[in-house]
Amino acid sequence: MAAVALKNQLNAHIASMFAAGFLDKQFQELQILQDDGSSPGFVSEVVGLFIDDAEKITGLIAGLLDQPVVDFDKVDALVHQLKGSSASVGAQRVKLSCEQFHSYYEAKNRDGCVMALALLRNEFYDSRSKFQTMFQLEQQIEACS
Amino acid sequence: MTTSTVQGSPVKALIVEDTPVHAFILSTILRKFHCEITVAENGNEAVQLFLEGKKFDIIFCDKEMPVMPGPEAIEKIRALGESHVKIVGVSAGYDLEQSFMSAGADIFLPKPMKFDVVGPIIQEVMNKKNNSMV
Repeated sequence: MAAVALKNQLNAHIASMFAAGFLDKQFQELQILQDDGSSPGFVSEVVGLFIDDAEKITGLIAGLLDQPVVDFDKVDALVHQLKGSSASVGAQRVKLSCEQFHSYYEAKNRDGCVMALALLRNEFYDSRSKFQTMFQLEQQIEACS
Repeated sequence: MTTSTVQGSPVKALIVEDTPVHAFILSTILRKFHCEITVAENGNEAVQLFLEGKKFDIIFCDKEMPVMPGPEAIEKIRALGESHVKIVGVSAGYDLEQSFMSAGADIFLPKPMKFDVVGPIIQEVMNKKNNSMV
């Protein structure tokens, strides 16, 4: 009974993430890969890799923007990488934040990039929190089984 | 197509990808088709594998990577005489297809990759491999 309630809670949580734009249909592709049974824990593992990657990349971008002379080509490459990995896990808000970043580094606008990074980090932290709630519920479900 | 329809000796796949998320997702997809998987983190590592005499049936190659980008690595691999290996260029921009194809790739797949696109490609490689062994 507890497991059923937790599963309902998990499904509602994931549905709310889709409704609020945290996730897009690419996340469903990951769920399909996991659901055939041959890759248990796949979604949590790949999202964990994304979270580690995003933390590293946003830190590197902050470091670059802190330099006396900003290497905007490196900023571009890092944002492109984060956009790619967020797209691959279905982290839509993070992906969209990366797309919004584009105009600022194209214009070589340091202040704009600093602001865009702050927005990107906010979206990433919110997404990370939602993912962590998802995995906590999954762990509780597994504990009940 | 389901993974259970894939038969024969395993396809040897090389993933050339510097982003752990992408490498992990593609590895998981290819494992479902019982591929033997090797991962190189940049184009130079991929070229080095061929120079060491390693052989692969298929390469999935990203574009933007440190040390050596994908299209440059593909050119070098083809220049080594590796004309039979199926090379799949993988990248997030549709306008990047030409750079892969000009370098010698056979197919371009956009990111994020869809699971159901990979299966037919692997099956084609497997059929070709098993027919050449007869």
